[in-house]
Amino acid sequence: MSGQPLYVLLCSGEREKLQMAAMMASVGAVSERRVEVFVSMNAILAFAKKASNEERHHGGRFSQLLSEKRAPEPLTLLRQGKELGELKLWACSMALDLLGWNMEQLDDELFDGPLGLTKFLSDAEAGQLVTL
Amino acid sequence: MTERHKVDARGAFCPGPLMELIATLRHSQIGDEIEVWSTDKGSATDIPEWVKKVRHELVSVTQGDGYWSIVVRKAK
Repeated sequence: MSGQPLYVLLCSGEREKLQMAAMMASVGAVSERRVEVFVSMNAILAFAKKASNEERHHGGRFSQLLSEKRAPEPLTLLRQGKELGELKLWACSMALDLLGWNMEQLDDELFDGPLGLTKFLSDAEAGQLVTL
Repeated sequence: MTERHKVDARGAFCPGPLMELIATLRHSQIGDEIEVWSTDKGSATDIPEWVKKVRHELVSVTQGDGYWSIVVRKAK
């Protein structure tokens, strides 16, 4: 691995921000950077196994364009990043508690487990932190 | 015996062409060349930058009829 690790704190459920987070994470991972994504707040709704299109695709003008032009889905990009590089996804334990969810309700191929914010931020001191 | 593989990623949006290149590189031999066709304008700069960063070899970048052709040699 080369370069600073990249840490992405993903809170927004808007498609535009999910897309950018997935692009950054997947490109970073295939560029020999270690990448970790912490998914919290509304963003976690898009990762539910049974998420509706509305939960995955809501947003502004670019959300519409991304759907109309059939840009790759954020979850697909993240899967590619995991397959081709070193990419970890963590589910915010507080968000899971608020929803009354456990890991079984999330896309099980993507997540590496639940994690607390304190641990994520502590780890992120070693790299570059981006919040979306 | 080295080979040249063609990846037709025309119509794919960023970072699709790069991801398709990387997936093809994984299944190629050292010395093989991969020619990527892309209509994504960013590919003409993004793929050479990625190649430099991860230490493969850029063979050529040329503009075709409405798309870019980027040839990469697997170096490791």
